[in-house]
Amino acid sequence: MQQSFVYFSILLCIFEIFKFKMPGTILENLSGRKLSVLVTVLLLSQLACFLVGLISPSPAGIQTILATVCVDPEPEVRDKWFSRNCPKKVDLRYDNALEGISPNNLVFVVEMPNFQQDFSRWQQNLAGVLQIELVYRSGQKLLNPMIELTLDARLAYSNKVKNGGKTPWTHYTNAITERYMDCIFNDTAIENKEGYPYDCSMVPLFELGSLYHDYYLLNLRLPYDSQKELNTHLLKVEEIFLHMIHMNGGFTKVWISLKSIFFPIIVTIMIWFWNRVHLLSRTPALLEYMLIVLGGTLAFLDLPIEYLTLHFDMPYMLLLSDIRQGIFYATLLSFWLVFTGEHMLIQETGERNSLRKYWKHLSSIAVGCVSLLIFDLCERGMHLVNPFSSIWVTPLGTNLALTFVICAGLCAGIYFLFLCYMIWRVFKNISIKRSVLPSMTQARRLHYEGTMYRFTFLMGATVVCAGITIVSFILNQYTQGEHNLDDSMDIELTSIIHTGVYGMWNVYICALLMLYAPSHKQWPSEPTCSEGEEVEFSRLSSEPSTTPNEISSLTSFVAKANIE
Amino acid sequence: MKQIIINNFVIRTMCFVIIINHSGFFVDCAEANVGTDVTIVGVARNKNRGKGSMWWGIAKAGEPNNISPTQPGVLFMDASVHGTLRRKQRRLAKENTGLLEAVARGANLAINECQYQFRNQRWNCSTKNFSKGKNLFGKIVEKGCPETAFVYAITSAAVTHSVARACSEGSIETCYCEKHYRRPQVFSNANTGAVANVRDFEWGGCSDNIGFGVDVSREFVDTGERGKSLREKMNLHNNEAGRWHVQAQMRQECKCHGMSGSCTMKTCWMRLANFRVIGDLLKDRYDGATRVTAHSSAALKNNKAHSNRLPKNPKLAAIMTNSIHTKRENKRKHKYAFQLKTYNSEHKPPGMKDLVFYELSPGFCDKDPKLGIQGTYGRQCNDTSDGVDNCAIMCCGRGYKTQEVVVMERCNCIFHWCCEVKCDVCKIKKKIHTCV
Repeated sequence: MQQSFVYFSILLCIFEIFKFKMPGTILENLSGRKLSVLVTVLLLSQLACFLVGLISPSPAGIQTILATVCVDPEPEVRDKWFSRNCPKKVDLRYDNALEGISPNNLVFVVEMPNFQQDFSRWQQNLAGVLQIELVYRSGQKLLNPMIELTLDARLAYSNKVKNGGKTPWTHYTNAITERYMDCIFNDTAIENKEGYPYDCSMVPLFELGSLYHDYYLLNLRLPYDSQKELNTHLLKVEEIFLHMIHMNGGFTKVWISLKSIFFPIIVTIMIWFWNRVHLLSRTPALLEYMLIVLGGTLAFLDLPIEYLTLHFDMPYMLLLSDIRQGIFYATLLSFWLVFTGEHMLIQETGERNSLRKYWKHLSSIAVGCVSLLIFDLCERGMHLVNPFSSIWVTPLGTNLALTFVICAGLCAGIYFLFLCYMIWRVFKNISIKRSVLPSMTQARRLHYEGTMYRFTFLMGATVVCAGITIVSFILNQYTQGEHNLDDSMDIELTSIIHTGVYGMWNVYICALLMLYAPSHKQWPSEPTCSEGEEVEFSRLSSEPSTTPNEISSLTSFVAKANIE
Repeated sequence: MKQIIINNFVIRTMCFVIIINHSGFFVDCAEANVGTDVTIVGVARNKNRGKGSMWWGIAKAGEPNNISPTQPGVLFMDASVHGTLRRKQRRLAKENTGLLEAVARGANLAINECQYQFRNQRWNCSTKNFSKGKNLFGKIVEKGCPETAFVYAITSAAVTHSVARACSEGSIETCYCEKHYRRPQVFSNANTGAVANVRDFEWGGCSDNIGFGVDVSREFVDTGERGKSLREKMNLHNNEAGRWHVQAQMRQECKCHGMSGSCTMKTCWMRLANFRVIGDLLKDRYDGATRVTAHSSAALKNNKAHSNRLPKNPKLAAIMTNSIHTKRENKRKHKYAFQLKTYNSEHKPPGMKDLVFYELSPGFCDKDPKLGIQGTYGRQCNDTSDGVDNCAIMCCGRGYKTQEVVVMERCNCIFHWCCEVKCDVCKIKKKIHTCV
């Protein structure tokens, strides 16, 4: 990543050289050679991001732990913890061990992590999924494939002591929650079904936003109560597995390193950009505001606050990272809309463009983001209070969650259609104007052709970036679906995709900030203008003094064309 | 050496009331053990046959009475167990605390499953209460017949399954956690092995337990089978087939935990199938087992049929600190690279999931003390069934007697999710057919 710094300083030098005066943006005034150098540098830093993914392990790790079944002779007394070496254990697969034991006596004990290891704070967060193995016993009928489970779950933590050993288990949280489990019985053809397994779905149990302690202990009970109908439809349980998912420390380290490198870069570019804007005699244009806000949200996303989790217990990190990503995506989507709009709208009135003009366009983003935020607050926000809660367990919650998610999806669809429509209009405008080009003088034509080319180039870059993101995530789903038992592959595609795509958007926004910063270069003199064009051009070029919002000569070109 | 074979076909019978024979009515009294058969068989040691299967004996060392999870390491100390193991197996057990308990549980799992799958067959997978390893299933395993193929496959599969389960239980501590990455030097600290293991967990998490199960099963179960005889190739092939089925029956489950719980971040894991499912599949393979024959030695060397087998995990050497493994690594690649030729050359060669045999089964109808077969005398059969438990088939045409008995059975049970709570005792009239 040191390379990035070098490239960055080269970039700054390039910009210092071209820091002389001119309306329009740097993109239009950069010579083809310099543009290609810049693009190469950006591509190289992009490549570096992909390469960083090579040393990283997969983003998340998994450990499957079989619950130890302990017998609690006094289920009423609750302030005690059962660990793996509890005094009396039973194996639910053997019936004769269970004589005289009631369901309420049984405690499923899971010590996390397994194999005498301990968690590291680099592992960030922890999610637990239950796998309950049910088997058929004659006389037990599956009444409803949706089995309602009542889980009495208690979580404790413990920490390493310096001279070896652990602190005693300390209560972390507890809850009685409900879950639904879908079970199917496959073997209808078999005569004697005794001992055949049911095919049951997984049961998400908890999600911890922070992994502050070294050890966690889950004590899970399945209380049975025929009056309250608790777990009455549950069939014979043979085993319970807990699959715990944690972030991998190696991935977190690589991720934070990426963030720590990008954060100062993006902040420096933002400062440079804002200085550039303020050097002008006009007030910043809407697109410039949008760019600086976009840079700001990216800087917020890049801010490596994960370092704090190494010292503080921050269970809200999951929620916070969702919000940070959400803000960034919302700004990026809004920027694309405004960017497209600013290159299309006819600016006859000379009015200052403001976001107000785009309220219709942006409202779809706003509605979508707000509904996602509410959903996230209901799910991950609730986890702050109760890690065992889930919005999906109650029918009302499921409907609510689905409403929010569908609403967000609809908004995304509307947004996308609208964006496509606008881009199509811009390209139509450009192609119309292209037909006018031959009637211009050669110098101007070359210049316009150049700017048009570069504008299309960046639009292309956006499409490519979005395309790569979508394709890589589809690829990611595919590769994860193909779980290979072959361990010989040393690279982890998932983490390469994550670091690569993350780096790509950073590079993309750095490029936007640099290329769309106002340029100080002067227009090349155009002595060979014919009179008619001169009139038009002077009319056009007189406008920027009155309407300082036109930051791009392409915008003015398109505007001029519209006037024609 | 002498041994006693006790064969139990227990009918849960309270009292027989009337027994209806083909010839007429007569009254008989209750009999708990039908067909108890005690034979004394002299054992001739045959060094080449089934020498890798001595370890089966530990099934009886860790008797299923001892069902509560035992303290790891206890079994290792057991002298009677020690005797049945080969040197390499002893070393594996020493290096992996808790492994022997898992293997013992696996062996019992295999016996139970085998007896379940063959409950209606002429050969019913009976075991002898005798701890000298390979004769656990009787001398039938000295023949290269389909039953032997099944026994090898199911024991190997059960060890794989049981070791993988023991890993998730945490009772084997050497299950690997260093995953498939070499950590960059910057992050690794050159401390003791234990600390490095913990740091590896921090860096890249743990790998699937099934990988360890398969590797340990290969090391432990296949250890004796290194000759070039057809019998050893057959054993290796069937052991691999058993493991293949355990791996193939793993099902993937995933959880999305990306932004707002979306699938931008998805983690998947493999779920171990219930062993009954694997037993069913192996039984199917037994029914369609391929007969092979010894082939010309030229064809032995270069054959690619096994090249698509699940690749060997190179990390085994890393967890088992002994350097012998790394030396053997190259040898091991060749160990499984052989192709068996079908007896009938028109049949297609056996794939890695197929069971193979080279001798036809004995009839199992009549007593054969040489092979330790008790015959089907006194076996229960079903007069209406179309399958092999049909009385005509089961009794090999000797005929059968029919008894109508009243059986006390538990019925109308109320279950809670863990335990049977309350049952009525019902008297049920049953017709029982027994081979004469």
